[in-house]
Amino acid sequence: MAVLVQIENLRKEFGNVCALDGVTFDVQAGEWIAIMGPSGSGKTTLINILGGLDTPTSGRAIVDGADVGRLDESGLARFRSEKIGFIFQQFHLVPYLTAIENVMLAQYFHSTTDETEAREALGRVGLTDRVEHLPGQLSGGEQQRVAVARALINHPKLILADEPTGNLDEANEGIVLKLLRELHSEGHTILMVTHAASIGQLADRRIELAHGRLAQVNVRV
Amino acid sequence: MFARLVRESFVRNPRRKVLTAAALVVGMAVATATLTVALEVGDRLAREFRSLGANLIVTPESDTLPLEIGGVDYRPVDEGAYLSEADLGKLKTIFWRHNILGFTPFLDVPTIAAGMRTTMVGTWYEHEVPVPDGTSFETGLKATHPSWQIEGRWFRDGADEVVVGAALAARNPDAFAIGKTIQVTQSEPSDAARALVITGIATTGDSEDNAILVPLSFAQQYSGHPGQFRQLFVSALTKPADALANRDPKSLTPTEYDRWFCSPYISSISYQIRQVIPGVDVRAIRKVADSEGKILSHVSTLLWIVTLAALIAAALAVAATSATTVIERRGEIGIMKAIGATNAMVAGLFLAEQLMLAVVGGAIGFLFGAGLARILGASVFGTPAAPRVVLLPVALGIAALVALIGSLIPLRRAARFDPAPILRGE
Repeated sequence: MAVLVQIENLRKEFGNVCALDGVTFDVQAGEWIAIMGPSGSGKTTLINILGGLDTPTSGRAIVDGADVGRLDESGLARFRSEKIGFIFQQFHLVPYLTAIENVMLAQYFHSTTDETEAREALGRVGLTDRVEHLPGQLSGGEQQRVAVARALINHPKLILADEPTGNLDEANEGIVLKLLRELHSEGHTILMVTHAASIGQLADRRIELAHGRLAQVNVRV
Repeated sequence: MFARLVRESFVRNPRRKVLTAAALVVGMAVATATLTVALEVGDRLAREFRSLGANLIVTPESDTLPLEIGGVDYRPVDEGAYLSEADLGKLKTIFWRHNILGFTPFLDVPTIAAGMRTTMVGTWYEHEVPVPDGTSFETGLKATHPSWQIEGRWFRDGADEVVVGAALAARNPDAFAIGKTIQVTQSEPSDAARALVITGIATTGDSEDNAILVPLSFAQQYSGHPGQFRQLFVSALTKPADALANRDPKSLTPTEYDRWFCSPYISSISYQIRQVIPGVDVRAIRKVADSEGKILSHVSTLLWIVTLAALIAAALAVAATSATTVIERRGEIGIMKAIGATNAMVAGLFLAEQLMLAVVGGAIGFLFGAGLARILGASVFGTPAAPRVVLLPVALGIAALVALIGSLIPLRRAARFDPAPILRGE
């Protein structure tokens, strides 16, 4: 398998706080990686750098050939829209847009909108009858499924999921994890931050962080 | 999608939108009102100034200098050049013909009236002038010299009647009394004396106070210059001179020339008069023209300052509400940027929303402004200023500009939001 993500000696400082300290690892295309560790260990910072939401202080993070730290503002925007699909713990949907409009928003920022494709994406996550609902009219699980549909709509190279089930009840957690399993089986590359060991076990590999450093590397599940 | 985003966003948080729109409404109302009045004020003040009298004097180019002593022109009648009365209708064919409010020809003839050496001034009080387009134009002293006072009445056109200047009448009250007949001759003794009935005593404040005024046709016949006159006083609506007005037309580029020709400057109207009546010298009566220019320019400056102040206030209000809106919508901006929105896309979204507000605010402000202009016009000039539809696109354009300027700093800030801290909830 080809290497999709290369992380070399990655370091990120917020003032005097070192969130990541010399992290190095690779991710093969099609892998599902669980990034684990206690709060403040640098998991979200790592995901944010890989997704082009943050820039490293030093080191390199290369995703599908793009050195994220070297991209300018417009390059980062293009990188996020073309290569990355984000799934956040807080869902982060635009509150005044319906489910389908939220999905189409990602299409719009990528290139052009395609309502049929957006409906299909929502159908895939089991929300065919909820496409015209606003986020406030959807349950947490449904909102997260809209976020999954939005993350997939532009066929990203890498899906970054930050505690995707952290705000969900058990039933909805199961639905979202099932979706992630399906995506993985289709060959999508997934980096998922999670606290829960049971969820981490679903991944191909676990990478554990502690105080911004790799505590355990390449733990094959 | 963009339109859907703008529409959905536009209808949210109506209170904030109402505040922004209200700032624009007030700004545009004041701007529309002052612009309407500013456009009106030139015309209105110019018309009021025209009640002071003529502002242009037309003489033959090759005329000799008048030999005047105590208001009496001692030039022999055969000396000097004359202009043709038949050409006068052409004045109402020039480009700025509607700005020609009146004109009056003068023909001075040295004469002896009731035994006193004086000047006979042949002129019109109310006279119909045929215009080449088949219409006619009524003009005369009534239009060009409205400040002249008359005791009794003015002479009738074509009648053997005379109005005596007040100073001359005071020198011989017995001879120059209303209702009396005086004899006028060109030399003494003479067999060719003509009798004229005095219909009025005129107080002019000019040299005509020492003259007698008769119908132009009488003076022409009397002096042997039928259909001719020596001087023409013209009352024209003009705009204050600026840098372009004082340029030599020959030095102007074709575009500058068109702008100059199509502006009612004293210089361009004079130029147009010379075009239709060749061989004349057209001069501005500087004292009147300069005062008009200064007052018009001061009033215009004041109105522009008020307009600018209102627009700056509106822009500041828009900036304040925009800044609050941007802060409130940080989360939304963060999400959009996380899923691939560029800075330009985020800025464009907010800008489109501000422009929609500008259109609404500008249109409502225009309506209020038109009403305000009516009130201002009525209180300052006595008649309400007519609304000018041409100002609607101007108001919308200015509103858009104000909204854009007011939103510039908040928009830059929105575009530079870093999505990571926003999504972390910081």
